Amino acid sequence: MKILLLINGNSLEIDALPGTTLLDALRHEGYFGVKFGGCQKGECGACTVLLDGKAVNSCSMLAAQAEGHAISTIEAVGQHPDQGWKKTEGLSVLQQAFVDSGAVQCGYCTPAMILAAQSLLAREANPTEQQVREAFSGILCRCTAYLKPIQAVLRAAAILRGEYVPPINGQAGERSMPAPDWPTGAPESPLNEDGSDTLMTQTSLRLMPKIVTTPQSSQLTTVGHPERKVDAVKLVQGKPAFTDDVQMRGMLIAKVLHSPVAHARIKRIDASKARALPGVAAVLTWQDIPRVVYSTAGQSDPIPGPLDSFSLDHKVRFVGDRVAFVAADTEAIAEQALKLIEVEYEELPRVIDPTQSMQPGAPVLHDEPEYVPFADCDPQHNLAARIRIDIGSVDHGFAEADLIFEDDFEVPKVQQVHIEPHIAITYWDEDDRLVIRTSTQVPFHARRILAPVLGLPIKRIRVIKPRIGGGFGGKQEVLMEDVAAHLTIATRRPVRYEYTREEEFIAARARHPMRIHMKTGVKRDGTITANEMIVLSDTGAYGCHALTVTGNTGQKSMALYVGDGAYRLSPNIRFYADVVYTNTPPAGAYRGYGVPQGYWAVERQMEKIARELHLDPIAFRLKNAVRAGELHPFSTSWSEGRAPKPEIIHTVGLEECVRQGRAAIGWDEKFGNSGWHTVNGKPALRRGVGVALMMQGTAIPYLDMGGASLKMNDDGSFNLLVGATDLGTGSDTVLAQMAAEVLGVPIEDMLVYSSDTDFTPFDKGAYASSTTYISGTAAVHAAQQVAERIRLRAARMLNDQGGGGNVTAEEISLAGRKAIAPDGRSVTLAEVAHDALHYTEQEQIMAVASYVSPVAPPPFAAQFAEVTVDIETGAVTVDKLVMAVDAGVIVNPLTASGQIEGGMGQALGYAVSEEMMYDAEGRARERDLVDYHIFRAPEMPELQALFVETYEPSHPFGVKAVAEIPMDGVAPAVGNAIYDACQAEIMVNPATPERVWRAIRKAAADQEKTA
Amino acid sequence: MIVEYYRPETLKQASELIARAEPLTLPLAGGTTLSRQGQNPAVQVAVVDMQRLGLNEIRKENGLLMIGAAVTLQHLADHELTPAALAHSIRQEVGLNARNQASVGGMLVSCDGRSPFVTTLLALDPRLVWYNEEETQTLGDYLALRGKARLDSTRGRLMTEIRVLLNAKLRYEAVARSPLDRPIVCAASAQWPSGRSRLTLGGWGNAPILALDGPEAGGAAAAARNAYIHAEDTWASAEYRSATASRLAQRLFSNAEAQEESL
Repeated sequence: MKILLLINGNSLEIDALPGTTLLDALRHEGYFGVKFGGCQKGECGACTVLLDGKAVNSCSMLAAQAEGHAISTIEAVGQHPDQGWKKTEGLSVLQQAFVDSGAVQCGYCTPAMILAAQSLLAREANPTEQQVREAFSGILCRCTAYLKPIQAVLRAAAILRGEYVPPINGQAGERSMPAPDWPTGAPESPLNEDGSDTLMTQTSLRLMPKIVTTPQSSQLTTVGHPERKVDAVKLVQGKPAFTDDVQMRGMLIAKVLHSPVAHARIKRIDASKARALPGVAAVLTWQDIPRVVYSTAGQSDPIPGPLDSFSLDHKVRFVGDRVAFVAADTEAIAEQALKLIEVEYEELPRVIDPTQSMQPGAPVLHDEPEYVPFADCDPQHNLAARIRIDIGSVDHGFAEADLIFEDDFEVPKVQQVHIEPHIAITYWDEDDRLVIRTSTQVPFHARRILAPVLGLPIKRIRVIKPRIGGGFGGKQEVLMEDVAAHLTIATRRPVRYEYTREEEFIAARARHPMRIHMKTGVKRDGTITANEMIVLSDTGAYGCHALTVTGNTGQKSMALYVGDGAYRLSPNIRFYADVVYTNTPPAGAYRGYGVPQGYWAVERQMEKIARELHLDPIAFRLKNAVRAGELHPFSTSWSEGRAPKPEIIHTVGLEECVRQGRAAIGWDEKFGNSGWHTVNGKPALRRGVGVALMMQGTAIPYLDMGGASLKMNDDGSFNLLVGATDLGTGSDTVLAQMAAEVLGVPIEDMLVYSSDTDFTPFDKGAYASSTTYISGTAAVHAAQQVAERIRLRAARMLNDQGGGGNVTAEEISLAGRKAIAPDGRSVTLAEVAHDALHYTEQEQIMAVASYVSPVAPPPFAAQFAEVTVDIETGAVTVDKLVMAVDAGVIVNPLTASGQIEGGMGQALGYAVSEEMMYDAEGRARERDLVDYHIFRAPEMPELQALFVETYEPSHPFGVKAVAEIPMDGVAPAVGNAIYDACQAEIMVNPATPERVWRAIRKAAADQEKTA
Repeated sequence: MIVEYYRPETLKQASELIARAEPLTLPLAGGTTLSRQGQNPAVQVAVVDMQRLGLNEIRKENGLLMIGAAVTLQHLADHELTPAALAHSIRQEVGLNARNQASVGGMLVSCDGRSPFVTTLLALDPRLVWYNEEETQTLGDYLALRGKARLDSTRGRLMTEIRVLLNAKLRYEAVARSPLDRPIVCAASAQWPSGRSRLTLGGWGNAPILALDGPEAGGAAAAARNAYIHAEDTWASAEYRSATASRLAQRLFSNAEAQEESL
């Protein structure tokens, strides 16, 4: 049917089917700023457009419905101010505020947020914070916890009202103080629209976090400053930067037939009817492609886990496992073809409960002869990995304890929920090389892993990673690129395969669920004499990341508390883990990588011990926590993929983190204050405050490598090419900042490109909190080599010019885009480049560097939570989260605080709302973002990030990791706060109302018994 | 799969289209449910867009709030005559984008038992007006008869209006994993000057249910407990739901003024 659309003021007649959604119509016409979040019910809002000025989901309305209405997309909002000879009005005030405020992380939902905010500001010039939150209520963001986008809107509103708004420039205020606030006219404590205060937060309008600085960082001019993200300008414009933002002639749509049963052999599969359907280009079953065993885990070689996966197999191992691939002209035809594939399953006994997985007689998931074991795995007993670590003399330590504490804890499977689903587009290029354009965190691992699977040499595969719309570990997996690639090989046509949100739940990866037994020996004075963790980890149907995730559970969380006195010198720690197969969707990498699981148990255990011994919970923790100059207790026992080597922890800012965090949460006014625990006029409510301390890791020593290349251009700008993959974290920006610091140029002179296996140096990818540290060091080393060439040439140029004494290269400093002699003479970098490229002893000034770290310096943090519990219903409201982090020197306060705020927001779901459940037949309960609830803007509690800088000596600028540690402490801090509020012991997270209700009743019953 | 799209100008035209036997022809209001049928070849439907039928208005008449079936949730939430608790329940239902699209009528047709809005609206005992049908129908009757066949429940019928008595005091309470999560248990109460009291429960099952409708509120807590005595699913046990529903009922009726203020 013909549909006349009015898009951004322009009339456009399209020819579409009656069922065509507005989203499909807009993207078909090239409006790529409108995103597809994979959702089935319009719950993510990535597809937001304005219809007659109101925000709507374009995925949830027909294009025909929009006829006669004005449609606005991000493409009409603003543009780059300088387009050669044509000058424009530039970005809109809102877009600029998003750029300036650090409100853009992955940028996938940014166009939606800007449009929603534009709609709000059109009807309300002076919005309250709550109104901004409501405006965002239809849009899910997994990166920012909404804080900086809200601040950006309030900032833009103030600018539009003509009020003075201080620029966000220079260092972070006084670097030990928050940056100054500005007046907005909005009330400090806005009420909900209905006048209630139930959702009220008191988000500070201060954009910059408080940073307690080190002396070493104060001399830096680019590092440590809130530079704008290098990709922000394109992302606020909704430019076609993501994998799916291309159209290719003749491109096919891929779909996968997923198994409806948890465990079965495929007795018969007949795709003839599907193949005969007009519009179907290919149907592939296990009979049609080579049988190559591999691991989907995106890790360095050799992959530290079993090879137990096939692109397609004659056996299915979970509901959602692959049965067949289809490529067709349209999505509807592909869907129809799936229904025409006839499959006869021979159902096998299944094991869903991990505690039954290793029992005698349990069904064996992996009986295939091709299975390649790694280390201690035993597929005949469904054992994907086994870890046995004893440090010191644990049994001796228990014997010396005055008291032994033992308890069982449980953590659920949870999903990463990156708003951009997994997506890959594959095609043969003109040289018959297979191009894989994919939203991946690991492009180089993907190329290496896929080569044998596809029957191609590595050199005939090119992996392009465009912008990534969030990953959080979910894209550290070579999950689905092979589907599109096999179909391209079969058809010789471009193929696009994008997961739906349901596929993300039934056929992607998730955080490992674990059952954890803790046993801790303690002296009456609070000295820990021995600590033991026994883990049963459920890897699901495949063993990707089985060993390493679970290894990190112990390696990070059990390393924090070493004991005091003599035990500090020789701690007694045991960590045993069995990682088992079950007939459920596989677990994998998820931000934190096993560590949040460990800290749920460790920090709940520490709280119970402190309470039982009537010790101050913070003092008890600090008494036993590892300190600077001590050996990382696990460094001699376990490492990911390489032999462990002893490692001293040089920087520990934990005590200062505690000091800063407890002040920010108001710990001393609240903890133990019975008056504060109750709420006037609300007898069913109790307040509580809780704490958790954490340490993480920075990169994987002796294993993971990052590379960078740097090339100088005629005008003194630089191309920085990195294989590192910025998945929204801002790593492209911080790498550019570090290189710019070395070269004495502003960040706008750094042109960053990541990543393409043809053009950028190898990098392990974005995982293990390693990019700033590993890839950043590589970028610094490349910059140092380039700087050396510049100094040599500049010294010669200055000496040739005369006018002063001769200078040597060593005397030249680089600053302000100049090479400067001690006497003040200088040449610009543009002059140096011009000279190098066109005049004297011509050369391309460039360098390549790479880096592997011998250490993994841990960041530390103190997490605080404040909650209100309804003791009659068990409902928990998290009111405030404060996190103080020692991540070494902070390269960019805006991006770093964005990581902490967003991480806390993500971890909040782990604490109270997120879990994936399966019925007895292995069918998932959660298949969309309605049942799997992640926090929306109006309900997000007050968040505060603080930094305590230490100077890590192993990095050129003293940095440690920041991205993963915010996932670790929220759940246990909330659990501990719930106990503080109502003495309910929550052993299983998330703390759902019924779990809390039952724990309250149990506590009351126990108390009655005691009485 | 949507195979035909119509945008009639009159109710008569719309009604005639909807009355067709083949293909299944359904009214399309916001589109939040129906538009997603687009890729499902197993279901072939025609849709009749209601945007030109004059069903997008809210008015007050004889103490009744007359809500056009195509009125959006956000329009209703923003309306000055909408009770605060009802507006609050709308904001609990879905985010702003969906509220700007989803219609009141469409929500009644497609909701399940976890709907805060329908639970709250049901407490007001609204009546549904159908085109060319002499009798109005209570929402309670409609939900009970609707069963699980949500889209089929309006086959051949066109809802035009929802009528709500405005002289009741309306309150809403809910328990969920987070403030905007779908409720595990929710309850709404309406009390009229005559003393008539209604209690509805949601958070479970195919549709919100009526737990109490009597001349006064006595026994509401017990009614709630009994109503959810078997309300078990994977989200909560019946024991928890039953106890919590009872507790919410007590709150709604025992401290009415305070509850109203808190909304």
